[in-house]
Amino acid sequence: MSILSIDDPGKQLLYMGNEAIARGAIESGVRVCAAYPGNPSSEIIASLAKVGKELGIYVEWSVNEKVALEVAAGASFAGIRSLCAMKHNGLNVAVDFLYNLNLTGTGAGMVVVVADDPLALSSSNEQDTRHYARMGDLPLLEPGTFQEGKDMVKTAFEMSEELGIPVMLRSVTRFSHARGNVTLGDIPRGQNKPFFDVTKPRLPKPVEKTHKLLHEKLATAGQKFEDLPFNLYQGPDKPELLILTCGTGWYYTKEALHHLKATDRVGIAKVGTSWPLPAKFITEQLAKSQRVLFVEEIDPFLESNVKTFYAQNAAELGPKEFLGKVTGNVADMGENTPDNVMAAIAGCLDDCVVPARDQEHAAQAAEASKRLATTRALGLCAGCPHRATYWAVKNALALDGRGGFVVGDIGCYAQGRGPSGFQQMKTMHAMGSGAGVANGFGQLTRFGMDQPVLAVCGDSTFFHAAIPALTNARYNGSNLLMLVLDNSATAMTGFQPHPGTGRTAMGDTAPVVDVTKVCQSLGAEVIVLDPFDVQKTTETIYDLLQKQDGIKILVLKQVCAMVRTRMGKRLYKVHVDESKCLGEACGCNKYCSRVFKCPGLTFDKTTGKAGIDEAICNGCGVCASLCPESAIIKEAL
Amino acid sequence: MATFNKTGGQQQLKAAMQQSELCTNCGACVDLCPYNVAFNDRIVFLDPCDRDEGRCYAFCPRTPTDLSALYDGLFDAADLTPELGAVKGLYVTRAADPAIRDKAQHGGTVSALMALALKEGMIDSAVLAEDSGELEPRGTVVADADQVASHAGSKFVVSPTVAAFNRLAKGEAQAIGVVATPCQAMALAKMRLKPYAADASHIDKLKLVVGLFCGWALSLQKLAGILEPHLKGSEILKLDIPPSGHACMEVTTEQGMITIPLEEINPAIRPACSGCLDMTAEFADLSVGSARLDGGWEESQGWNQVLVRTEAGQKLMDLAKDAGALEFREAPAGAMDKLKQASMNKKRRALEHLAAQSGSEDDLIYLDPSDPLVIKLKQSWAAQ
Repeated sequence: MSILSIDDPGKQLLYMGNEAIARGAIESGVRVCAAYPGNPSSEIIASLAKVGKELGIYVEWSVNEKVALEVAAGASFAGIRSLCAMKHNGLNVAVDFLYNLNLTGTGAGMVVVVADDPLALSSSNEQDTRHYARMGDLPLLEPGTFQEGKDMVKTAFEMSEELGIPVMLRSVTRFSHARGNVTLGDIPRGQNKPFFDVTKPRLPKPVEKTHKLLHEKLATAGQKFEDLPFNLYQGPDKPELLILTCGTGWYYTKEALHHLKATDRVGIAKVGTSWPLPAKFITEQLAKSQRVLFVEEIDPFLESNVKTFYAQNAAELGPKEFLGKVTGNVADMGENTPDNVMAAIAGCLDDCVVPARDQEHAAQAAEASKRLATTRALGLCAGCPHRATYWAVKNALALDGRGGFVVGDIGCYAQGRGPSGFQQMKTMHAMGSGAGVANGFGQLTRFGMDQPVLAVCGDSTFFHAAIPALTNARYNGSNLLMLVLDNSATAMTGFQPHPGTGRTAMGDTAPVVDVTKVCQSLGAEVIVLDPFDVQKTTETIYDLLQKQDGIKILVLKQVCAMVRTRMGKRLYKVHVDESKCLGEACGCNKYCSRVFKCPGLTFDKTTGKAGIDEAICNGCGVCASLCPESAIIKEAL
Repeated sequence: MATFNKTGGQQQLKAAMQQSELCTNCGACVDLCPYNVAFNDRIVFLDPCDRDEGRCYAFCPRTPTDLSALYDGLFDAADLTPELGAVKGLYVTRAADPAIRDKAQHGGTVSALMALALKEGMIDSAVLAEDSGELEPRGTVVADADQVASHAGSKFVVSPTVAAFNRLAKGEAQAIGVVATPCQAMALAKMRLKPYAADASHIDKLKLVVGLFCGWALSLQKLAGILEPHLKGSEILKLDIPPSGHACMEVTTEQGMITIPLEEINPAIRPACSGCLDMTAEFADLSVGSARLDGGWEESQGWNQVLVRTEAGQKLMDLAKDAGALEFREAPAGAMDKLKQASMNKKRRALEHLAAQSGSEDDLIYLDPSDPLVIKLKQSWAAQ
């Protein structure tokens, strides 16, 4: 039994933020959930998938976020509560649909969860998705506690159903991935039969009617927000500084005031309903102090909206000093931490200093983290097929000698931009953008560009967003070589299945949508190879680069090293014959550990010999084929 | 040059080759390690090696080279001449076997000698330039005397032959013979001085170097570009350059022979060849070129002239005579002087080119201006 399906109202459990959100959906009677995986949002749908069958919830990994949102909308239209979750970039993909859905309206409650990744810890970019709520006239909630993570979802479903529009909930990494106590509520039983009332078609036009109605709905949402417990104030009646905060800022600010011993000087107003602003609540808070500091993640969203609101009510509220990201008191990018929030608050107060660190404790902590967590470079795993691929690409491009390059996008293979991918990947943008950007480069031969262009995408990205770009290349005759790095997994986000894997989110078997056949159907030349055959792969890439007559597709098929290891199907046992190893001598100079750099390879400075770290080696055997002295021995398992 | 560093690693090699377009594509830096490969008429540095010292740099015939040390270390002092290096004798020969002559560029002497060396057990493997089906030849290994002739014929693009030796020396072969251009022979000579003890066992396997006279070699890409409009799609069967008076390249194709003026070919000459002092492959055991007979090009085409330089070379020549592998005829009067003159012309052009390239008489790129031999050469034409 999963922690998510425990039916014991009143019981308190430790939930990850994403699990709290999922539990909120369960307690709201959600029956259709869809998403495309993406950190830090993935666990919402992953945890729902585990209890889907038990609780009668349909859960799917969709091919991309737009389709996921459309799946959820279909359910909503037919009277079934639905939830769609995604990371911040995902909303960029889905927003075209979302900005029609706001006008057509929804049926049963529909909640859109978006998890932002401040500082892009596991993303290509940093963006604040809250702007989408304002631009699309949609209500937005931001949980500040784990209990709220669950409760806000329930409120969001109710409000969505009442107003007939999707309601957004914004999380950030430190909320999604941290854990806290959550008190359980009821899991509703009883199920309605889905039915789509064709007398009420979902059409966004005429906009003079639908957009006006949307504004009315949003105004209603604002009024309803006034009564919600998610907006609250804590502090003295007349604080010398008022902090307006939301999301993670709530805990960070409370902790900071505690350490600064400033709880009697500073008040905290927590805004759980970030859009539209609860006017009455905000007015009451602003009346408390002349000085206002905003603490929020990424952009000055609350800050800007409150200042706009203030501009309309300045006469009533009197002069104010607003401090925040705009004034430089808080960093206008990156991730908040208790430390920088504390520094920001201290900077706004007279006679307030950040307490000195307990040096002894800090030293102990530093020592412990050094001892317990191995320092290692960001890079591809041991035995990763992508390393073999980039090795072949590097060599093929060097042999070709025309300055060719790789354009790519987001996935494990984005490590191609770093040392473990031999710095081969030179552009990185959105999902599928490698293929798209290559379309552009590939048209420039007509103007004399002679650098060949290779695009890379993973198998999951292939289905997500690469197919349109490849179709375009075929249709418009772009000269490019597409490498589809098919490792049979959405590896970077946690091995979620996708259409090529033959499995669904709920563990059922599914028809395999074959990457190669899809490529062949475009009419392009398609070759399938095992990237572990580095020599053959290098030669093939080289040969394909010599042809400048449209799109070529090379599918490099080799299962993700992590998946292989989890299946217990390592290919080889690998060891070093030290008598043959040249080490640092001319002729080798640590070719395996210095140049190929698989983390499974070691070099013993004392003996001057290479070795295999058996705990890390995943047994791909590629290093054995590269060793100039055949000193690395692989034995088939 | 500011510094005359005789040691360096791959990074220094790469910098030197790129700065001065010095690379001859001889293959000496290839197949010693996985970092450098020969591909498409150029050396590709696949991965960076951060060693301060490496064999790639040490063996390269265009990294700083102590010429006098090479001559003094490898040849009998009594045989040394400033014009032609060591000379034990000059011969005019051709393969006795007409089958070899048919396939050969000229007299088939090289093929006959290599086949003989294999047959007699002087070597167990021969490294030759092989036609790859394209213009670019590649180094190949032959262990069967009967196969030698199938690789005959001049290659006007240098093949990375030394790489094939490097590969071979690491393996089972014990006695290796190499057919080498002057730059390749110089690389092998640098190896023979054994700058690295770890390689001593490899280089000891080198038992015979048959050198090829060479005026210059061509850049593959450029040659292909020049020949393409002339070929009209037909395949090249043979390339030849008759003596200088003809000033043309003869291209034999399925359609017959096309004559292309040398001035059209000249732009394809490898820049590195302009800095080469060696016309007669002076660092070989014996060196072979086309003969210059009184009967003119028609007659000369069927014969070779051979300079024997070492005892190993003399031994093979004697064997050839005893075994009847070669036919001999008397060298025309003045043949040696003509060779010397031609050789000195190349040396002079090369030294002038190097000084012009560096912008200073005191910087000869890869040669030491204070080398006694260099000084002697300069003095010899100053005296003229």
